[in-house]
Amino acid sequence: MSHEGEVSLAHISYGVWDGVVLDNRGKDAPDRVALSEFDSIDEFNPGNPIRAFFADRGFLVFDPEVSLIDALWRYLDKAAEQSCGKCTPCRMGTVLIRDALNQLRIGDAVQLDFDTIDTLAQQMAETSLCGLGRTCAGALLGALHHFRGALEAEADAGPAPRQYGMSYMTAPCIEACPSRINVPRYIDYIRDGKPEHSLGVILQKYPMAATCGRVCVRFCEIACHRSLVDQPVGIKTLKRYVADHQKGPNALNFTRDLIAHPLPDDMRVAVVGAGPSGISCAYHLLLHGYHVDILDAMGEAGGMAAIGIPSYRLPKDVVKSESEILISLGGHFLFNQALGRDYSIDDLFARGYKAVYLALGCQQGTQMGVKGEDPTLSGYETGIAFLLIVHDHIAGIKTTALSGDVVVVGGGNVAMDCVRSALRMGANSVHLIYRRTRADMPADKEEIEAAEAEGVIFHFLTNPSQVIAQDGRVVGVELVDMAQTDADAKGRRNVKPIPGTERVMTCTTLISAIGQQVQSGAITPVDGVAMNRWKCVDVDATSLATSRPGVFAGGDCATGPSTLIHAMAGGLRAARAIDDWLQLGEVRFAPRARMRQIVAEHKMLASCVNVPVKRIYRVHHPELDPEVRKSMFEEVEHNITKEEAYHEANRCMRCYRIYSVITDQPIPEGAV
Amino acid sequence: MDTLIAETAGTPVNVTIDGQPVIAYAEETILTCARRHKVNIPTLCEMHDIDHAPGTCRVCLAEIRTPGRDGLQMATTCNTPVCEGMEILTHTKRVRDMQRLQVELLLADHDQDCATCVRHGNCELQDIAHFVGLRTNRFFRPERIASRGIDDSSPALIRDMTKCIRCRRCVAICREGQAVDALVVTGSGQSAAVGLHYGTSQKDSTCITCGQCVLVCPTGALGERDETDLVLDMLYDPEIITVFQFAPAVRVGFGEEFGLPPGTNVEGQIISALRTLGADIVLDTNFAADVVIMEEATELLRRLGQGKKPTFTSCCPAWINFAERHYPDILPLLSSTKSPQQCLGKIAKTYLPERMGLDPARIRVVSIMPCIAKKDERVREQLGENGVREIDVVLTTREFARLLRRQGIDFAALPSSTFDNPYMTAYSGAGAIFGTTGGVMEAAVRTMYKVVTGEELAKIELDQLRGFEGVRSATVDVGNGIGVVKIAMCHGLKPTRELVEAVRAGTADFDFIEIMACPGGCVDGGGNLRSKKAYMPNAMKRRESLFAIDHVARVRQSHNNPQVQALYRDFLEQPYSEKAHHLLHTYYTDRHLDMVRTVKDIWQEITMSTMIY
Repeated sequence: MSHEGEVSLAHISYGVWDGVVLDNRGKDAPDRVALSEFDSIDEFNPGNPIRAFFADRGFLVFDPEVSLIDALWRYLDKAAEQSCGKCTPCRMGTVLIRDALNQLRIGDAVQLDFDTIDTLAQQMAETSLCGLGRTCAGALLGALHHFRGALEAEADAGPAPRQYGMSYMTAPCIEACPSRINVPRYIDYIRDGKPEHSLGVILQKYPMAATCGRVCVRFCEIACHRSLVDQPVGIKTLKRYVADHQKGPNALNFTRDLIAHPLPDDMRVAVVGAGPSGISCAYHLLLHGYHVDILDAMGEAGGMAAIGIPSYRLPKDVVKSESEILISLGGHFLFNQALGRDYSIDDLFARGYKAVYLALGCQQGTQMGVKGEDPTLSGYETGIAFLLIVHDHIAGIKTTALSGDVVVVGGGNVAMDCVRSALRMGANSVHLIYRRTRADMPADKEEIEAAEAEGVIFHFLTNPSQVIAQDGRVVGVELVDMAQTDADAKGRRNVKPIPGTERVMTCTTLISAIGQQVQSGAITPVDGVAMNRWKCVDVDATSLATSRPGVFAGGDCATGPSTLIHAMAGGLRAARAIDDWLQLGEVRFAPRARMRQIVAEHKMLASCVNVPVKRIYRVHHPELDPEVRKSMFEEVEHNITKEEAYHEANRCMRCYRIYSVITDQPIPEGAV
Repeated sequence: MDTLIAETAGTPVNVTIDGQPVIAYAEETILTCARRHKVNIPTLCEMHDIDHAPGTCRVCLAEIRTPGRDGLQMATTCNTPVCEGMEILTHTKRVRDMQRLQVELLLADHDQDCATCVRHGNCELQDIAHFVGLRTNRFFRPERIASRGIDDSSPALIRDMTKCIRCRRCVAICREGQAVDALVVTGSGQSAAVGLHYGTSQKDSTCITCGQCVLVCPTGALGERDETDLVLDMLYDPEIITVFQFAPAVRVGFGEEFGLPPGTNVEGQIISALRTLGADIVLDTNFAADVVIMEEATELLRRLGQGKKPTFTSCCPAWINFAERHYPDILPLLSSTKSPQQCLGKIAKTYLPERMGLDPARIRVVSIMPCIAKKDERVREQLGENGVREIDVVLTTREFARLLRRQGIDFAALPSSTFDNPYMTAYSGAGAIFGTTGGVMEAAVRTMYKVVTGEELAKIELDQLRGFEGVRSATVDVGNGIGVVKIAMCHGLKPTRELVEAVRAGTADFDFIEIMACPGGCVDGGGNLRSKKAYMPNAMKRRESLFAIDHVARVRQSHNNPQVQALYRDFLEQPYSEKAHHLLHTYYTDRHLDMVRTVKDIWQEITMSTMIY
C-alpha cells in the first residue's frame, strides 16, 4: 500500500525477525533495509493500515509511533488468556509479564523491572512444555534484547496512546484444516478426560464428527509437527473416538434451546442437496435461528457420504444419525426432489425462501472418452453409478449380484471404493487401471494398501484405449502401456501411450472412475446462476455468492470433486455469508480470515520448536483381517480404546502460535 | 498396545554428564540415565514408580549440547531423550537459577499457609524448594488461588485445589493405575486444577474413595477429612466409654512413621499408645475379621447350594463404592456380610456391653484404618440404627500418627503391651492376613473346608493364593456335595474392572471372588502413611509381616478362635442365624450416576477455543 505523499508502511521502521535485527529509524530511503517477503503487508482491511505485526518469530514495526509496550501487552494478554496452566513457566510467566506490561502501559507503579521481565520471558521460552509457552515470548525478547532503549523511553514517557488491533492464536493443524477445527484444543480435552468437551469443539464447526473421523483426508495430519519427531498425531482417529460419545446412554443431545435467537417464521432458507456441504450449511443456519428446508434428489440424507462412500468405511447409520441432528434443531428434509426436474430456483423463491444454498455435489460420472465407450452398454458403469448400485444393494433397495472379472479405471478414492466394493459384491477378480505410477495416485495411502491387502490387482502406467463389446455387453477392454515423459519446468512428469503395446483384457464389468461433474440438467440457464468453464457453479471465493443475488453455492458443485472436509467448510462459510446477507445486505469482512491470509502468505507457521522429543508411536485402529473383511460390508476399522485415546492425545505438542497486529483504526467486527 | 513403543531397551550410546563419559541407552530419558549414574537432578511432578513424567513442573532442568547443533539448550530431563554424543550439564549456574525460579513460580499460585497444612514437614514442594535453594517468594498473591476451591463435600476425601501443583499424578493413578477414571483436568491458567467428571462434587462423583491419589499427591492438595479432634472430644468426655479398634494392616504399616523399619509389627506399641491416649477399651479388628469369615463362609456355602455364583467379598468399602457406582447390576452377587470394621462396631455396642455390664449408649467406637473409604462406609445409611452408628469415628493411619504427635506421645519409645479385653481381641492367623490381597480368601477357605468336611485343611498356607498378579485364581476341592470351588482374588480396580466385565459377559466362571480395591490390599490402602516420591515402596515387607503373624499364630482358623466360639455360643447362636443376620449383614444400593448432558451444556463450558455459538 502506498498513501500519496507518505512513506509506504510496508517499509519496516524497526523490528526483529528470525534473529535478524532491522533498524531503519532515522535512515534515508537508500540506506533502509527491507525484508522483501513483508512488502505485501499493508492494509488489514480497506483503509486500515497495519502499523505493526507481532509473532513468535519476532516483530515488525512499520509505524515508528507505535507503542511497543502496549502492543506487547496485547500479545501477552492473549497468551495469558490461552495458557492452559499445566506447566509452571507459561502459567505464571504469561500472567506476571502481562500484568507488568499493563502497569507500564497505563503508567501505574511498576512491580517488575525490565530485567525481571527478561528473566521470566527467557524462562518461558526455554522451559515451557508446549508451543504456546515456548513461542509467546519471542517478540518480547526481541524487543528487550535489541530495542531496550525504545521500551525504556516509552516507559518513562508515561501512559501509552490508545491503539487498535487484534490477536489470533492458531497452529499448523488448524491452518491446514479447511474447517479450522481447533485441533490441539480437542485433543487437550481428551487428555483432560473430557471427551464430551472435545466433541463439543468439533461440533462448533460441523455436525458430522463421526463421519469426518472415519473418512477425512486429514490435511491436519499432513501439517502436524509431530511428524518431525516420529509420526503425526492420529487426529482423525481421536476425532472418531470422541464422536462415539454421540451415542449410547450418555450421548450428547442437541436440543432446540441451543438456538439462542430464533428468527421470525418468514426467515426461511432452502438448502439444495443434503450432502456434507448442505448438512453443514443447514446446521449453522439453524443454529443462527433460520428455518431451513433441505431438498435432495435422493431418498435419504448424506449425499456422497451416504452413497459414494461404501459402508465398510462409513456405516450408513453414522451418516443417518448425524443428518438427524438437523431434525433435532428443527430442520426439514424434503427428499426425492431434484433441482431441474421437480423445481427451479425461481420456484424456491416463489415458495418464500429468502435465500438458497446450492450444494448439489458432482453426481454424474465422467466418461473416459475412448473408442467404443457407450453408457448404455450392459456391464459399463461410471464410478459414481456403480457406488449407487452398491448402496442400493446394501440398503436392500435392489439386490445386484456381481460375478466375473471387474476392471476399474482411475486412481482416486472413488476408484478405491469401487475396487473394494466390487470384491465384496462377489467379483471373481478385480483389476485397477491407472495411467500414472502408484506414487501419483491421489487416493489415500491407507485405501491403496487396504485394497491391495484384500487382493485387488493394480496395473500402473496403463490406460484403456477401447471398450470391447458384444451384443450390447462389455466383454473386455483394450489397454495400452503408458510411458512417463521427462519432467517439465515444475518438475511434473506427464504420461503418453506407448504405440504397439495394445492388448485386450477380458472383463464382464468396466467401471470408469476417473471423475465426476455437476449433474447435467440440474441448473439450467433460466435459473440465472452462471457456471464456470469447469462446468461448476461460479461463486465469489470469499462469500460463495453466485451470479444470482440470494443464491449461494458451495461444496463439490462449486469446487469440483473435492473432499468431505472442504464441502463442510464451504457449508459453514455459506451459512455465515447467507446470515450476513439476509441481516445486513452484505457479507462482512472476516478479521480472522484476514489473519489467516497473512499467516499463509508469509509462511509464518513454517518454524518449529527444535528440542529433542521422545519418540512415542501412534496407535492404530484395530481392523478386521483382509481375508475376512473382503467379502463383507461391515466396518473394517474399529474404534480405539480409552487407554489408546489417552496415549494418542498425549502425543500432541500443542504447536500454538499467536499473531497480533496493531492497526490504524479499530478492526471491524465480522463473523467469528 | 504393542505398537506404541517401537524401540525398547535401546542400543548403548555415549553421553557425558557434567563432563564424565557415561553409557546411556537410545530413547531413554536424560533423567533415567542420570539416576542410573547416581547424578542427582531435582524432580517434582515425575514419579518413577508409576511411570509418570507429564513434564508439567519443568523443574528437572539440565543444559544439553547435541551434536550438529550450536550452543547449549535448556531441557527438562524427565522427557528429553538422550542421543549419541550428547553433553549434559546438570548443575551449571544457569540450570540452578532456572530451577530456583521455576519453584518460585510454582509457589506463586500455591497456598502459602504451610503451618496449617497437614503435609507441613512432609511435603515434596517444600523439599524441592530446599533442594533448589529458594530464598525468595516474590510472586505469590492470594487472589491467584481464589479461583480454585476446596471441595469438602465428602465425608472421606477432601480436595484442596489451592495446593494443587498440576503434577497430574492423581489423574494418572486414577486413570491408569485404578482404571476408575473419575478425575478430569479443569480450568485453565491459574485456575487449572483437577476436578471430577461431569463437574460433580466429590461426594456425588464417580470417585470411589480408594485414596490411591492421596498416596501419590506431592502436597496437601489431597487428603482425608481430619477427625482427630472428634476423638479428642470423646477421650476427654468422662461420660463416654471409648472403644478403639485397629485394622489388620495398621500394625505392619505404622512403625515407619516413627523411624522403625518398614513392615515392623507394632501391635504391642499401638495398644500402649491407645492406653496412653486414654482409651477405655482396646479391641482388635482382627477378631471381627474372624467373625466375618464365619458369616461369609456360611453364606457362600448356602449360595453355592442354591446355585448362585459367583459371590464377591464385601469387606472393602472402596470396592462396594465401585460396585454401587459403576456396576450396580452385580450388587446381587455381593456377600451381604458387613466388613470387619462394622461387625466389630455392632458387636461392641451389643454383645460387649451385655458381657461387661456397660451402658451401650455411652460407648463410642473409634476405628484406625489404612483406608479413606472406611469413612464413607461409617456413614452409610444402612449401617446405623435409630440414629446410632456402628462406628463413631474412623481415623486413617495418618490421622492416628497426627493424633499421637498432638498428644506428645513418643511412639517409638513406648513399651509393647498386650490386649486385655477377654471378649473381642483374640484373633486367628486367618483374621490377621485379612489385610493383604488373597488373605480373606485364604481365611475363608480354611473355614469353608472345615464346615463342609468337618476336618481341618491339611496345608493351610495356600501358596497359589499368595502371588501378586492382579487376578489370581485357584480351585479348592471341599468334597461332600459341594466339590470343587473355583476361587479368584483380585487387587487393584483395574484388574477388578476387567474381572467384573468378564463376569457380566459370562466369560469368567468362579464361585467366590475376593476383591480389594487397593493394589496389594489394605497394606497399601489409601489411608496409609504417605511415601514421598514413591508408590507402594513397602508393600511386600508389610505383606510378609502379616504372613509371619499367621505363621506363628497358635490358632490359625477363624472357627478355632475361642472368643469367636464364645460369641456364637453366648450371643449369636450360630453363623448366619437370624440374630447374626440382623446384626452382621447389610444390603447395597444402586448409586449409578447417569449424566445426560446436552451440546448446549458442553458448549457453555468450553474454554480456550473460539466459539461460534
